[in-house]
Amino acid sequence: MRPKRETELIYPVARYFMHKGFRWQVTELQFYEYIIDIYGFSRISDLTISVELKIKNWRRAFEQTLVYQLCSDLVLMALPKETVHRVDQGLLKSEGIGLLCVGSNNRCQIIVEPRLSYVMIDTYKRRNIDLLRQERSRAYASR
Amino acid sequence: MPVVDPSVFLRLGSHSEKDYFEKVIPFVDGYIIAANLVESTPLACASLVFRFSGKKKNTPYLLDPMTYVFGAYLDPSINVVRHDLDWIKSDQKRKKKPVRDFKRSYKGLGEVFGGPFAEAMCDNENQNAAISPSDLSSDEVITQVSKTVMDYQLQRIPNIFRDVIEDDPVAAELTEGFPLPLAIIAPYFYIEPSEEASWIDINLRMMKETVSLDPDLPVHGVLCLDHSILLEREKIDKIAQNILQTGIKGIWLWISKLNEDELTGDKEINVESTDKCMKLSAVRYLVETLSNQIEVYNMHGGFFSLVLSKFGMKGISHGVGYGEQKDVVPVIGQAIPIVRYYLPNIHRRLGVPDIERCFHSLGIREPNDFYEQICDCAICRGVVNSSVRQFRLFGEMKPPKSGKQRSTQTPDAARRCRFHFLLTRIRERDWVKKVTLQQIVDSLNSSNQKWGNQPTVQRYCPHLKAWGAVLANED
Repeated sequence: MRPKRETELIYPVARYFMHKGFRWQVTELQFYEYIIDIYGFSRISDLTISVELKIKNWRRAFEQTLVYQLCSDLVLMALPKETVHRVDQGLLKSEGIGLLCVGSNNRCQIIVEPRLSYVMIDTYKRRNIDLLRQERSRAYASR
Repeated sequence: MPVVDPSVFLRLGSHSEKDYFEKVIPFVDGYIIAANLVESTPLACASLVFRFSGKKKNTPYLLDPMTYVFGAYLDPSINVVRHDLDWIKSDQKRKKKPVRDFKRSYKGLGEVFGGPFAEAMCDNENQNAAISPSDLSSDEVITQVSKTVMDYQLQRIPNIFRDVIEDDPVAAELTEGFPLPLAIIAPYFYIEPSEEASWIDINLRMMKETVSLDPDLPVHGVLCLDHSILLEREKIDKIAQNILQTGIKGIWLWISKLNEDELTGDKEINVESTDKCMKLSAVRYLVETLSNQIEVYNMHGGFFSLVLSKFGMKGISHGVGYGEQKDVVPVIGQAIPIVRYYLPNIHRRLGVPDIERCFHSLGIREPNDFYEQICDCAICRGVVNSSVRQFRLFGEMKPPKSGKQRSTQTPDAARRCRFHFLLTRIRERDWVKKVTLQQIVDSLNSSNQKWGNQPTVQRYCPHLKAWGAVLANED
């Protein structure tokens, strides 16, 4: 069934990146005025990832992801299969933003590979990793 | 059209802004205090006026009578005209019971003004409490209202002192030379579109009547309109001609919901068909028409209005870090706004990361690059002093309070942004004074070329093109 809300994309996208090694994850991470839908960190590769989920408005997602490049190594936008064809892939490629398609069976497929951000500021990345670490400690403590 | 030197008036929003006033007042042309603030904090306001406008500093000031708050208003949340004055009420407690009543400051103001204002305040459950044009239809009421509002501006602040000091002869001497406002503002009401003709008539009559009362000070009026009226050129023309016949010496334009810089999207900009351009053109036309005979100010204006000094706009006013646009009735219940960084090149406020994202492609690597390409005001030099990474201090956030989900801007970051904005505004005013209109238009175009290509900033740039087009239009 076609997803109606962005929150319906969280589970398949989070699971996809979990399998890709981004095992530390948090949803709705605040970065100044922006809210990053999914932020992940892979301890093996020491890479961070930001994902903006959108149902339709990919242009807005594009604007947001450009800013997320300041705090993550890799940045993508994730859209349902039904709207992914509308995206200007050339534009995304020119800025190194990746594109992930979420199929009706919740299977995810990379359409455009993200490139390593050349504008990333290490202070922001490290601060976000610290937040993920704190989040994990809190989760463990509450178990 | 007369080309004039623009002036900047600061509007005091609350006494927490006093610190900004202390530092900036020597560099601005005046300030405005709202009457409701005077009623809620009389002594603090009176001493502020004494301090800033006394013999030593002598800064011109105006006392905004705020009469419009007693009129009907369009509730933006439900898009209905309301007559219950609910927006100046708050939830209060009386004998441990919750009551929704008028805020103390407005109630006080209503009582001081008396007549229809006091009547509006006497029953907090009256659904038709608002003053309507029919309440002001008789000449007697117009005279009474105009006189009370005039006397208020002339006497209220000295009287606050008199009440406190009473028998102290030294202090009594001080009140003798108490600074008077720059002008008397005639009572004014929002020209609510559903009763447009009546409100226009009432406002004009009150301007005329205040003039005929012959105060020793010049009389200014306030033209408080909805932005939609700007698309009706004939109506605007008629209003302007009528204003010129009232005898006032100055007019403060307040175009509700007209945000000078809010123009987004990548649609083609055309002076004759783009809605926003047409509205800005109408403001320019209004300024050109009126400024041949009287002083014209924008009560809530920004850089575009400042540049309209080339067409006769005498000045603008705004708050210490906001208020370059103001709706007559604010939307209540919004989140605490973040004070954004005012990017001088594009004359607009942006989030820190949107600007920081451009540093790489603009080659901003060292503080000197920052000073050259972004801003070199004293605040920016102080904050960005050893690394461009320090720019983030303008957007610094603190962790959410318990029970809250979102982080908020630190008070220090907000302060930096406000001071930077104020210093930049003073520079803008001085720059506009000394350059030609063509140089301003060229500067807007070159800023558009530079920032319009930056992916995180380009959506904030269309106004540059619109402003350039409106200012350069020779019609």
